[in-house]
Amino acid sequence: MKLIKIFLGEIHQAFVIAIKDMKVYYLRPGMIMFGLLMPFFMFFSFSIRRGISADAGIASLLALTVFFTSAAAGPFVIPLERRTGTYDRLLAAPNSLLTLLFGKTLVGAIFGMAVAFVTVLVWGIIYGFHISQPLWLAATIMTGAFSFSALGLIFGSIPTRNPGDVQMPSTLLRWGLMFVSGVFIPVGEMNETLRTIAYLSPLTYAQDLFNYIFLGTNFTNPWISLLILVGFIILFFIPSLMMHKRSLKLGF
Amino acid sequence: MKNMIEVKKLKKNYGNFTAVDEIDFEVYRGEIFGFLGPNGAGKTTTQRMLTSLLTPNGGSIRIDQKDITQYSREVKRIVGMVPEESNVYNELTAWDNLMFTGQLYRMSRKERKERAQELLEFFGLWDKRKIKVENYSKGMKRRLSIAMGVIHRPQILFMDEPTPGLDPQSALAIRGLIKDLNKNGSTIFLTTHQIEEANQLCDRIAIIDHGRIAVIDSPENLKTRIKGIQSVEISLEAAAAQKSSKEYGPALAQLPGVRNAIKIGDKWRLYTDDPTNLLSTLFKFAEKNQARIITLNTMTPSLEEVYLDIIGDLQSFQPAERKPAKPMKNRRMK
Repeated sequence: MKLIKIFLGEIHQAFVIAIKDMKVYYLRPGMIMFGLLMPFFMFFSFSIRRGISADAGIASLLALTVFFTSAAAGPFVIPLERRTGTYDRLLAAPNSLLTLLFGKTLVGAIFGMAVAFVTVLVWGIIYGFHISQPLWLAATIMTGAFSFSALGLIFGSIPTRNPGDVQMPSTLLRWGLMFVSGVFIPVGEMNETLRTIAYLSPLTYAQDLFNYIFLGTNFTNPWISLLILVGFIILFFIPSLMMHKRSLKLGF
Repeated sequence: MKNMIEVKKLKKNYGNFTAVDEIDFEVYRGEIFGFLGPNGAGKTTTQRMLTSLLTPNGGSIRIDQKDITQYSREVKRIVGMVPEESNVYNELTAWDNLMFTGQLYRMSRKERKERAQELLEFFGLWDKRKIKVENYSKGMKRRLSIAMGVIHRPQILFMDEPTPGLDPQSALAIRGLIKDLNKNGSTIFLTTHQIEEANQLCDRIAIIDHGRIAVIDSPENLKTRIKGIQSVEISLEAAAAQKSSKEYGPALAQLPGVRNAIKIGDKWRLYTDDPTNLLSTLFKFAEKNQARIITLNTMTPSLEEVYLDIIGDLQSFQPAERKPAKPMKNRRMK
């Protein structure tokens, strides 16, 4: 009973941190540019002349929005807070490092889920709501958002006080993953090397799940894709935690 | 007396550079403890280790008898922190800043609201509580930052340079607040460059230089125990001929026990290790020279003189490639 109370207390604290971040950072230019506008620009740049169907379009657009918006928060918020000194306030508070990192993951994940929800809503208004797998859609958006946010957290954990130092490598990685994850080129059409890289990317599994939901096609069992996305959340958390501990040794 | 902070063999390295070199000290419960030192001496590094923001390379820190690594959360609950830069959320209002900080320390909604109102009124920010902090002046942000540091009524408050850059009125208000907090039972760990501020506020002072504690004592004890910067100030007038005080200078400088003699206006300040003995020597000198003593005062050194003397002495022991600070006596003689 005591453990449950402690656990719920920590979850509550993580939400306290996340809600504060939402109020402070969601409307900051960096978040809007890298999190909100970029996926739409990317999508329209690569899709507008390809004549893809509405269903294929929404599957790719959702994968991109969840990916970019969720992963945008970590590399932006944490270095900025380190620069302004407000991160010290969070580190000095009586919460565990894990709670703090979970709170920061929530910021990106909620951002990604909210933008994905609006995207689905707009798409539904235009093309009609005919989602055959609403639970799968919710689960994919949620697990995708958390795993991509945890990926962003790794970059946010780099010991620096300058968001610019983090934005560059994180943007490069996100762009790179976008091209090797089946968003624009289906995994089945890739050569063996690219396909191997695709299997290492969390975006591949999110895209495959969106394809399953909207197009009914998939190359991996949806349950396995979902489990892999959950696995990525844990996998990405470990280096973040380790890098944060290192940051505390270095004084960041 | 039960110690609030106990630091033993605390060490911090950045690569080959030793920022804090196995320091030991205690801070008593309920005291205002000043932590002084030049830039790069290790003050902020020490404070960051004490507030769990930096992991030490060695040694131990106990706050309220608890090891801060083993009982991290318990310790963090009773610690408040006001860093040098006002780390407030500019995008939020003062009210939201305080509500968030209260939540971080798990205060109930009722407790948060009552305490926030109390603090905002105390700091004169109540009328501006709904304005975003980005529109606040530096002094207002500083006051809010302190309010955020004390919202959870910490038993120990770490303050890093609380007043530089503030107008005199704000600085005075903050010094008053520090005294009030201390009167209400909080232990204060004050890191500062403002020597006069430390002199006015602190029960004890530690001076750190090159990562090592040079001295810890009360301001008054520090002033008396540092030899060679105690002084006697004398003004003389010849009884017969109109000989001025100025002309006695070389003779006064040669008196036994006088380390240095500096002319200040129509007076001479004579630095000595033993002011009591020098007084009797001066009476004899006046009698022998048929001079009339107009004024004669024993002078306690200022804390600033003590500080500079200690830092100067320490730096003179550094390796040759480092530029030593000018010794205190040379500076005085200029």
